[in-house]
Amino acid sequence: MSTALAALQRRFLDAMLEDAPFTPEVAPPDALDVYRASVAANLRAALASAYPVTQRLVGEAFFAEAARQHLRAVPSASGDLHQLGHGFAAFLAGYEPARTLPWLGDVARLEWAVHESHFAADALPFDFAALARVPAGSHGDIRFALAPAVRLVRSEWPVLAIWEANQPGRDGTPDRDAGPDFIVVERDGFAPRARRVDRDTWRFLEALARSATLADAGLAFGDAMEERLADALSQGIASGLVASFAAPDPGT
Amino acid sequence: MVDDGAGIGLRAAHYRAILERGPALAFLEVHAENFFAEGGQALAWLERFRERYPLSVHGVGLSLGSAEGVEELHLAKLERLVRRFEPALVSEHLSWSAAGGRHANELLPLPFTREALAAAVANIQHVQERLGRPILVENVSTYLRFGDGEMAEPEFVAEVVRRAGCGLLLDVNNIHVNARNHGFDALAYLDAIDPQTVGEIHLAGHEAVGARLVDTHGTRVAPEVWDLYAATLARLGPRPTLVEWDIDIPELDVLLDEAAIAARHLDAAAHRRARSVA
Repeated sequence: MSTALAALQRRFLDAMLEDAPFTPEVAPPDALDVYRASVAANLRAALASAYPVTQRLVGEAFFAEAARQHLRAVPSASGDLHQLGHGFAAFLAGYEPARTLPWLGDVARLEWAVHESHFAADALPFDFAALARVPAGSHGDIRFALAPAVRLVRSEWPVLAIWEANQPGRDGTPDRDAGPDFIVVERDGFAPRARRVDRDTWRFLEALARSATLADAGLAFGDAMEERLADALSQGIASGLVASFAAPDPGT
Repeated sequence: MVDDGAGIGLRAAHYRAILERGPALAFLEVHAENFFAEGGQALAWLERFRERYPLSVHGVGLSLGSAEGVEELHLAKLERLVRRFEPALVSEHLSWSAAGGRHANELLPLPFTREALAAAVANIQHVQERLGRPILVENVSTYLRFGDGEMAEPEFVAEVVRRAGCGLLLDVNNIHVNARNHGFDALAYLDAIDPQTVGEIHLAGHEAVGARLVDTHGTRVAPEVWDLYAATLARLGPRPTLVEWDIDIPELDVLLDEAAIAARHLDAAAHRRARSVA
């Protein structure tokens, strides 16, 4: 759109988000800086509210500079500030000043998973009656789905221990110093919580999240599939982790 | 419907206290975007409040003044919220925050031009069509003026409201802040407003930063703003009035105390009106 208003708004956002000069001059001239400071503070605060552990780990000044650089590259794309912060973990993983904290990006990934879980849709009750109607011979073709608030995170680092140690009231000392961590984020009532599971269970859940059939997802357990698959599924359904399924088409 | 009484902004810090104590309030106002989630705790809370109080849904991120129009995804989320909770009032700011897909997430000032007026009117009408109901738009506090204004602020605001067929959420604190920062007469501003269009009034605290007044929503309503509120009610008669407090949120009793002051003003205005009708 080539109207004067559209042009003014784009130039004003350049001034706000990229510190570009703005012409023609506004009155009073220093008001531009009032808005710049307010915009930057609001965006930084929104990012910090999604990444509180990350901010605690690096300190406010470090976080503010990382946020500034990230937001310059990836500006806010929604009028809803709860959406702000997607991609910040990936930015931190490649952020040169954070190279001495190689696990920082993974901690941030876990924080974003928790953030998303908080706002995700509520799951409907599991439809056991519909499951009972699937013929036994086609159980392996069922595609089970995780609850909308479930997120899966894995890391080579003990990020869950780091995350837990930096919750309010904790002194920041992790109770483990080695990974890898295979993490399930889920909602307990409405409160997101994160817990570790074993590698094969995580891979099983991750396959379900990719819409694999039960038979294919069960391959995550390798030779132990016979013993473990039924338990993993029934525990997943009982705990609300597995919330729904798509029955195989009877014609195939 | 909302009575011409006083309400407060509903903030998470006060959820439990309000449900336990059930203070007498005409309505509760929430920021729309805090309830844009598909599910989860916030919406469950809001279900509990709607059983007890009329709700006002107040948006901060729709960017009604954007030349490029409002974002349909944002509007769809607002529509989902409004259709689910059927609030008594729905409002947004007469400002802008987005262009070219980028958001400042700030209530940025519009130039008072005919072009900006037309853009705001078109956006408001589009929103009202989607929501299937009229909305209120709020006059915002601003810290700058663009050089190419073609009219004064109150004329701009009144004309947007008249042409869009929406209502006005008259923020009395914002009038005071702008009058001081830009050097105009707050009472003359009130005179330019059509009383029939005002559907709600906002009150909030501001703070002086250097020579500037800043609309912080973090303190009690200033004495000068209570005076301007009284002058407003003398012109309009009573209207649903909200006390906003968004940062450094105090104990619930402080907000209830501010709301009680507003309620006394509203009672006096209602009595005056009854006498003048009699």
